[in-house]
Amino acid sequence: MSNLLNLIWNEQIKLYAKKATWVMFAALLIVAIGGGIITKFFGTESDFKEYGDDWQAELQAENAQLTAEMEEEEFAGFMNEMTIAENIYHIENDIKPQPYDGWEYVLENSFLTSVISLFTIIVAAGIISSEFKWGTIKLLLIRPISRTKILLSKYLSVLIFAFTLLVFLLASSWLVGAVLFGLNGLNPMVVQDLMPGYVQNDVIGEIVKSYGFSLVTLVMMATFAFMISAIFRSSGMAIGLAIFLMMAGNAIVAFLSQYAWSKYILFANTNLAQYTNGMEPVIPGMSMTFSIIVLLVYFVIFIAASWAAFTKRDVAGN
Amino acid sequence: MEVYILSKTAMQLVNLKKTIGSKPIIKGLDFEIRAGEVFGFLGPNGAGKTTTIRMMVGLIDITEGDVLIEGKSIKRDFKGAIQHVGAIVENPEMYPFLSGWKNLKQYARMVEGVSEDRIKEVVSLVGLQKAIHEKAGRYSLGMRQRLGIAQALLHGPSILILDEPTNGLDPSGIREIRKYIRNLAEKENVAVIVSSHLLTEIELMCDRIGVIKNGELIAIEEVRSVENKEALKEVYIEVEPLETARAYLDNHLSNGVGVGNKELSMSVKREEIPQILKNLIEQGINIYGVRVLQATLEDKFFDLIGENSIE
Ligand SMILES: Nc1ncnc2c1ncn2[C@@H]1O[C@H](COP(=O)(O)OP(=O)(O)OP(=O)(O)O)[C@@H](O)[C@H]1O
Ligand SMILES: [Mg+2]
Repeated sequence: MSNLLNLIWNEQIKLYAKKATWVMFAALLIVAIGGGIITKFFGTESDFKEYGDDWQAELQAENAQLTAEMEEEEFAGFMNEMTIAENIYHIENDIKPQPYDGWEYVLENSFLTSVISLFTIIVAAGIISSEFKWGTIKLLLIRPISRTKILLSKYLSVLIFAFTLLVFLLASSWLVGAVLFGLNGLNPMVVQDLMPGYVQNDVIGEIVKSYGFSLVTLVMMATFAFMISAIFRSSGMAIGLAIFLMMAGNAIVAFLSQYAWSKYILFANTNLAQYTNGMEPVIPGMSMTFSIIVLLVYFVIFIAASWAAFTKRDVAGN
Repeated sequence: MEVYILSKTAMQLVNLKKTIGSKPIIKGLDFEIRAGEVFGFLGPNGAGKTTTIRMMVGLIDITEGDVLIEGKSIKRDFKGAIQHVGAIVENPEMYPFLSGWKNLKQYARMVEGVSEDRIKEVVSLVGLQKAIHEKAGRYSLGMRQRLGIAQALLHGPSILILDEPTNGLDPSGIREIRKYIRNLAEKENVAVIVSSHLLTEIELMCDRIGVIKNGELIAIEEVRSVENKEALKEVYIEVEPLETARAYLDNHLSNGVGVGNKELSMSVKREEIPQILKNLIEQGINIYGVRVLQATLEDKFFDLIGENSIE
């Protein structure tokens, strides 16, 4: 056990000794700060509006004005319609609108988990193949430690790295959000426009859900890149394939959705959020349980293939 | 020489074979290396030295046969066997972005009981104290070679395997390595295996030399036993006047003499040399220098290896 911890420690040291790793953290920080500034200075004014005690009347006045605008100018249509619908939701459910705050900023930034996926794929793709590239694999594998354990330490290191990035993104978004927008309390309620319409939930729950669901894609694609790296011992190929599939995944599913077997495609199942909030799954007949089983099968295949390639094959030549 | 016969076997190769694809690369090696001995593994490029070493340390599968390290099979008890081994396989590659020290720390963390003091000890043994905190990427080949040896020695192995350790070292570096390899063998009873394609580079540090060619062991020689009284040696004597000396020796030596620029060359037995010199002096010939060529081993191996044909 202490053995495994030492191996993971070694991997983390190698990881953070490289500039590229720090560039990843810097990039996330810059996006978190930049996004905050853009929202602050170029965001929709109504989002930041503070309503008084008579907020129902204020909302109704707003809606009247928006409707008038729409009659004059046709382009204003879509945005105005959305705002009107939201205002009606607030009035009907007796929920006082809150100004945009740091929590909401954190929630919005959950789309940045795809950037984390990208960075994790890069690290996962390199963590085995780099040892081959440097030739250090030969020194690593002649210690009294099984190859399985070395592989495990590398895989766990990738996950730890992803988790570190995630915590970093959450913390920096929250700080930037708190400084720029303030906070509406410890765990305020937020109103979101989801597929079936407007809903109100507590913000921390929403943050956990939204970041949590995105972890599925992250872990699956990182594991995939890890496998390619273990099999082909080349990081370029692993990065290329994993990123291509991540980007093209939804398109592939859409393209093949006419076939019944398309529900077994990995990317048809990575978005578990499709089963929440009463949404319809991409392909009829799928369920949360079905997707979780499919995901587990893929995961086991990826890990088994990595293991077989890493532990069974000769380490010769470069 | 009897010492070696008494000392225990550190590593044993049993009918070791490797086939890659359908090509037999190693065709059945059988020999053993004893504790406290420096074993030279000599062979031309492509002979199969690195492939054999890779099998010894479990980097590649063994097609047939086995390697026993301190009695333990590398195939069946990898951890039990490899814990006795320190090795450099092919080039001494290091993490270029870590300092020499941090590179060593990586390997120290992978085994039990390597203290900071032990790392320092090994660093000074290979003479790398000054550069140890520089990035390994900036090391010269010789420095990397030293760091590679340090890495192999960290856990105090009883068997040290060095694939071409003299590669990239300057003459003084080779002399130093030779010195502490001899030291390790003699003082700490370590079995050392050094591979090379150059006899001259390992001849002086080895007790025995095994010659491999095309994946087969074609000879094993005790280095010191090659000293043979009856063997003819190439002797060069710088004399003046050259012509008088040549005429005199021509009449007295059965094999005749060769004439160089200022030297005469002749093939004689070692015990004949003093008499020849005495005679020359009695003839009033001045002697400025005598050289005895130590080429016997080299010639022998050259005869064994013959043309270096890579299959
Ligand atoms: N992965 C491989 N696939 C096919 N042939 C290989 C492979 N690895 C080595 N060989 C062949 O095995 C033979 C022995 O190679 P090896 O590297 O063991 O030689 P060597 O004695 O270490 O040579 P050198 O002095 O050049 O280091 C060579 O003919 C080489 O072409
Ligand atoms: Mg070699």
